[in-house]
Amino acid sequence: MSDLITLEELIEEFQEVEDKMERLEMVFELSEEVDFLELEYWNDLTRVRGCQSEAHVLVTIESDLVKLKAGADSKLVQGLMGILTIALRDISPTKALELTPEFAGEMGVLNSLSPSRSNGFRNMFDKVMKEIKEKM
Amino acid sequence: MELWGEDMREQFPILQREVNGHPLVYLDNAATTQKPKVVIDAMNDYYSNSNANVHRAVHTLAGEATDGYEACRTTLKKRFNAEKVIITGGTTEAINLVAHAWGKANLSTGDAIVLTEMEHHSDIVPWQMLAKELDIELRYVPVQEDLTLDMEIFEASLEGAKLVCVVHISNVLGVCNPVEKIISLAKQNGARVLLDAAQSVPHQSVDFQELGADFMAFSAHKMCGPTGIGALLVANDAFEQMEPFMGGGDMIETVSIHGSTYQTNEHKFEAGTPKIAEAIGWNAALNWMDNIDLESEHSRLLSLARWLSQELRSMGMTVYGRHDEHDAAVVSFLHPTMNSEDLAHLLDARGFAVRTGHHCAQPLLERLKITGTVRASLYFYNSKEEVEKFVKQLSEILERFA
Repeated sequence: MSDLITLEELIEEFQEVEDKMERLEMVFELSEEVDFLELEYWNDLTRVRGCQSEAHVLVTIESDLVKLKAGADSKLVQGLMGILTIALRDISPTKALELTPEFAGEMGVLNSLSPSRSNGFRNMFDKVMKEIKEKM
Repeated sequence: MELWGEDMREQFPILQREVNGHPLVYLDNAATTQKPKVVIDAMNDYYSNSNANVHRAVHTLAGEATDGYEACRTTLKKRFNAEKVIITGGTTEAINLVAHAWGKANLSTGDAIVLTEMEHHSDIVPWQMLAKELDIELRYVPVQEDLTLDMEIFEASLEGAKLVCVVHISNVLGVCNPVEKIISLAKQNGARVLLDAAQSVPHQSVDFQELGADFMAFSAHKMCGPTGIGALLVANDAFEQMEPFMGGGDMIETVSIHGSTYQTNEHKFEAGTPKIAEAIGWNAALNWMDNIDLESEHSRLLSLARWLSQELRSMGMTVYGRHDEHDAAVVSFLHPTMNSEDLAHLLDARGFAVRTGHHCAQPLLERLKITGTVRASLYFYNSKEEVEKFVKQLSEILERFA
């Protein structure tokens, strides 16, 4: 998967894959898209609550663009962070706030995960959006 | 009935289904077991033909429902050689019942309860709640490096203790605790004993009176029965010390505006409409299990668990268990780098059902310095071929993803 892939292209790619293992493999690969938040910065403020894994996100806004740094102890969770990274790539905070978590549903990604993992994704999405709003 | 052959598997409708396009391989039996058709049919038949409330009614349906419900108690009494059998909502409810019905009536400030680090949360939290309420002391027996309880500390902790609560077989490790010795030592020190038998009774015959415990709690759903029902076996003298916990219908003898009198039998602790369909389903499961030679099944499953552990170790996994003679066929393991939930998701993609996480035993995992494991647990319908397939699939996953 190219690092310049758009969210729309990603949704399309996921929709073409029926096998759950292949879809999970794609999520695994997307963990590489994440700008990794170093372990030393993981703390209570960066923690995504309600996620069964250790998952941390840090949002900053630079030159009116959203920057996401993230990390998790699970490759699948970090893959979900990769999807969010692509969704937020090169967009302004105002544009970012127009996003809804439904795109993950459209991709069929959440269907491939346990309920706790898909809730975790929603919590991660909500936390990122809340931080964008606070930092605008 | 042929054990572990196709005859056995055909009796479980769910085992015929596919998951994610692959035949289901169900290895999450320590969480709950699948139900044979006889259990599903018995519950269906009750709702189709005999549905009525039990006990105080003279019509035919009520009689059939009462007979069906009470038959479960009779079967349990016979199977476990128990004096009193209180039907509960499961193991958790049974332990909570002891805490409320016996604990509150017989414990007071300064008393002590002995627990172990191996307990399921359901045998820790009710006692923590009671300890807070009554200001009593909780003493925890540590788990040693070899995954056994520290019996020296156990003996020392008995001084002045009124109750010992111990798990018969650990749901994480499959380790069977020396409950005969624990009960004998507790009795010598004047303490009553509650045995959490949720993971043992599905695999072995237990004679409650011979064992000498005062309370024994377990669930139907871990032994091919329905969810939402379990039992608390109680010794006669301990039963006499129990006060009603929940008040309501069915547990009373008479009620007036000035006060009430209670039943003197087990109904005293079964307020409200009981779990009628569930009891009928459980009775069917217990009768069905009579066809199974538990000892030879246990030895077959244990040898599969030993083989699986060996294979997992050769793949670089850490296995948390020892699989001694009386231990259960539970295999908890961890890969050195791969997240256990990731692994379970990938296994699910190929139809394998395993459990991950802390298995409701966080103090034990803290002792082992881990936060969770992947757990494969076996039961009657699991075949050697399935376990071999599991190993092959794991190996493919590790090659592709680790």
